[in-house]
Amino acid sequence: MLKYRFNSVGLLLLLLIAIVLPFYLADYWIHSLTVALYYVIMAVTWNLLGGYTGQFSLSHHTFAVIGSYTSALLIIRIGTPLWMGIVSSCIFNAFISLLLGILCLRMRGIYLALTTWAFAEIVKSYIRMDFQFTGGDRGLNTPLFFKTIDPLPYYYLFLAFAVITILIIAIIMRSRIGYYIRAIRNDELAAQAMGVNTVRWKVFSFMVASVLASMAGTLYGHFIGLVSPVLGEFSEMAFIIIFVVIGGMRSQAGPVVGTISVRFLAEVLRKWPEVRMVIFASVVILIMRFFNGGLIEFLRKVYQRIRHGKDGESVSVFQKME
Amino acid sequence: MGKTENLFLFFKKWSRGKGIEEIMNSQSRPLLDIKNLVKDFGGLRALSNVSLNIQKGEIRGLIGPNGSGKTTMINLITGIYNISGGAIYFSQDRIDGLQPNVIAGRGVIRTFQIPRVFKDMTVLENMMVPALCQQQSMAEAKARAEELLEFSLLTRMKDEPAKNLSGGQNMLLQIVRGFMKKDLRLYLMDEPFSGVHESIKGIIIKNIKAMNQEKMITFLIVSHEMTTVRNLCHRISVLHKGELISQGTMEEVANDPLVIDAYLGGE
Amino acid sequence: MGVLYCLMSLGVNFIYGIMKVINWAIGEFFMIGAYVQYLLIVFFLGVRYWYIGVLIAALCTFLLGALVQKILIKPMFVGIIEEKMEYATIVTIAMAILFRNLAIFIGGPFIYTPPDYAPPTRIGPLPVSGNNVIAFIGTIIILAFFFYFLKRTWIGKAFQAVSQNRPGVLTAGIDVLKFDMIAFGIGTALAGAGGALLAPVLLVYPLCGVIPTVRGFEIIVIGGLGSIPGVFVAGLSLGIAESLGAAFINPSFVDIYGFGLLMLILLIKPYGLFGKPERSV
Repeated sequence: MLKYRFNSVGLLLLLLIAIVLPFYLADYWIHSLTVALYYVIMAVTWNLLGGYTGQFSLSHHTFAVIGSYTSALLIIRIGTPLWMGIVSSCIFNAFISLLLGILCLRMRGIYLALTTWAFAEIVKSYIRMDFQFTGGDRGLNTPLFFKTIDPLPYYYLFLAFAVITILIIAIIMRSRIGYYIRAIRNDELAAQAMGVNTVRWKVFSFMVASVLASMAGTLYGHFIGLVSPVLGEFSEMAFIIIFVVIGGMRSQAGPVVGTISVRFLAEVLRKWPEVRMVIFASVVILIMRFFNGGLIEFLRKVYQRIRHGKDGESVSVFQKME
Repeated sequence: MGKTENLFLFFKKWSRGKGIEEIMNSQSRPLLDIKNLVKDFGGLRALSNVSLNIQKGEIRGLIGPNGSGKTTMINLITGIYNISGGAIYFSQDRIDGLQPNVIAGRGVIRTFQIPRVFKDMTVLENMMVPALCQQQSMAEAKARAEELLEFSLLTRMKDEPAKNLSGGQNMLLQIVRGFMKKDLRLYLMDEPFSGVHESIKGIIIKNIKAMNQEKMITFLIVSHEMTTVRNLCHRISVLHKGELISQGTMEEVANDPLVIDAYLGGE
Repeated sequence: MGVLYCLMSLGVNFIYGIMKVINWAIGEFFMIGAYVQYLLIVFFLGVRYWYIGVLIAALCTFLLGALVQKILIKPMFVGIIEEKMEYATIVTIAMAILFRNLAIFIGGPFIYTPPDYAPPTRIGPLPVSGNNVIAFIGTIIILAFFFYFLKRTWIGKAFQAVSQNRPGVLTAGIDVLKFDMIAFGIGTALAGAGGALLAPVLLVYPLCGVIPTVRGFEIIVIGGLGSIPGVFVAGLSLGIAESLGAAFINPSFVDIYGFGLLMLILLIKPYGLFGKPERSV
């Protein structure tokens, strides 16, 4: 109980820092942080799906792309107001993810991975091909959310959205649904034999993650002012996986820590984009191979060392969930 | 063959009838009624024309040599496999063709031969899963789980992840977890005593007996341990090569020439 | 073209059948095969000996695949890794990213155009590219070899046994782990050979493996995971669906028709045309 309180105080402190921080930073770094927050949302939601539920969607980035394009196309081609574009893109994505989910999630997880991977590539190539409608490789200019290019308001927008997303997922994981989806990941058949409607909760988790991702993508489009197929590249998906794995799968803080730190490194190394991807991919392989738990597990171990001395018992990340 | 001979000796030695006439002779319709069940795997006929019914409140043993179709039977009842022919009725409703989770929702719970617990979840969290599926509140489920764990001497382990438990403890957890289902009516157990230490076996038996007496829960127990089956079960059914060859009290079954033939005769 | 995609899905399906692992980096092995082929015929062999290049490219990808298996996939089977599927997926995806970016790093993001293997020819009245004809014939030959190997040789039979019953084979005195390595190598070599054969058609660049892989995965889902006859039926039907779509709807969205077919199959037969739900109890 005491530890729990300590955690919430720590979290509030972090949030406070996040709120105050932009006043001490240059515009460039605020912009980078805003982009990082977009990826935090993507990583956290993918962690719900790939980490907790054990269902590998490889089109998480595509939902963001579909979201941003739906909104942009509605606004440009039909002239709907901005808020309606955002709302309808969410609804559209909910529909697509429901369809894909129902089709793929009746089987084992690998079918979802295969199908979504193909789906991601198909959507990307459609956007490229149908350039008269989607703008092709050049993309589309969309209206800005705050009608300014100053990154500060966008930073707060994304911060708020990221906090809400994290809260939603924390609430899901603490509710009975959290028990269901963890049971599904551990042993689907046993969960079903205990009466868990596995398909329903897998689809639920897929939909929640996809809709939140599409929402993030839509806002991102209205923050950059341009939607383009670049966000649909597979490297985007790879980045999401990299963030989650390096941060620590199946923990709530892991993806956040992972995203912020990897994004920071990526900014530092931005002159050598290939080198940084090679490094990140190698780190991911090493973590998966030797140190399953990522940065957050590492921090936890260090913390335990300091607190309990050398013989401090290590607590696995997986036990962290109350 | 030596092992089956031993089994046969057990039959002989322990064959004393256990009368629960009021259940066996009851005129009410059976809780589980299996009619002419057939299951094919490709060209292999795993079960042919098996009819079996179990009365409410009964503890039924299901025995038979390896590969005789016992586990297949449980998989069919719980909807994990689709049946190839026949019908399964559970309290007058047809349940074959339903999804496993729907069947579980009707109050039919099973265990697996190799314990299937949720490894990354703690013992307590494992217990919560079936209860939460029934719209029980968190607090209510937790209280019930703690009570059951106490009864099964697992309280000490309740915050350990299930992967840290021993094989026997896993089996115990798997079994106790099923009791979390509030409207549990039929409990199918697949080899609940295999690879389990005597003391844990005692706890499992204690649990089964208590649940049977207090809540009139019906059991179907697949096991190779004749002593335990004899002590625990009211009646016994014998499967051999996918067919039900004998049914009755241990005494009747053990003296059935077909059973003797199945256990001693060459396979 | 349908036959060529079969090569990719066969590579993936063969590995999956034996190890229950999807190799997400298969497109990158295709790409590596293409690069090796390009290097060989431009700098060492000359375009006249392109068929030797294909063999060497296949050999290189075989060795690389076997090495990758030994270092990264093998730990799954000796009990170090707990979450097998998760591990395999993430590691092979990371590998794909690694190879892609290494290719950009070493060769630059340029598109290399290897010389033609054969001049354009005619089949009846239709002019066709000689490269396509060669790729088609080459693929058929490779597939024939593969099936001869699988059905007729002792090792091939052992592979079939491993894919059906791992523990059983272990007790029969076959070193399963070594077989895994060879199988992984063969799967990647199929992709590598495909890359080398198709180099003049699809050209050589870091992402050249993506399109064949998309088709390959579509074929796998349509045909059924782990099913080798499924690959051919699915490959054929994918080819037909794409040409029909191109002819009657719109030729520029050829990629989408295959996916439409996939969705349709998933709706009707969730485990694909030849796939079966696995016995898991």
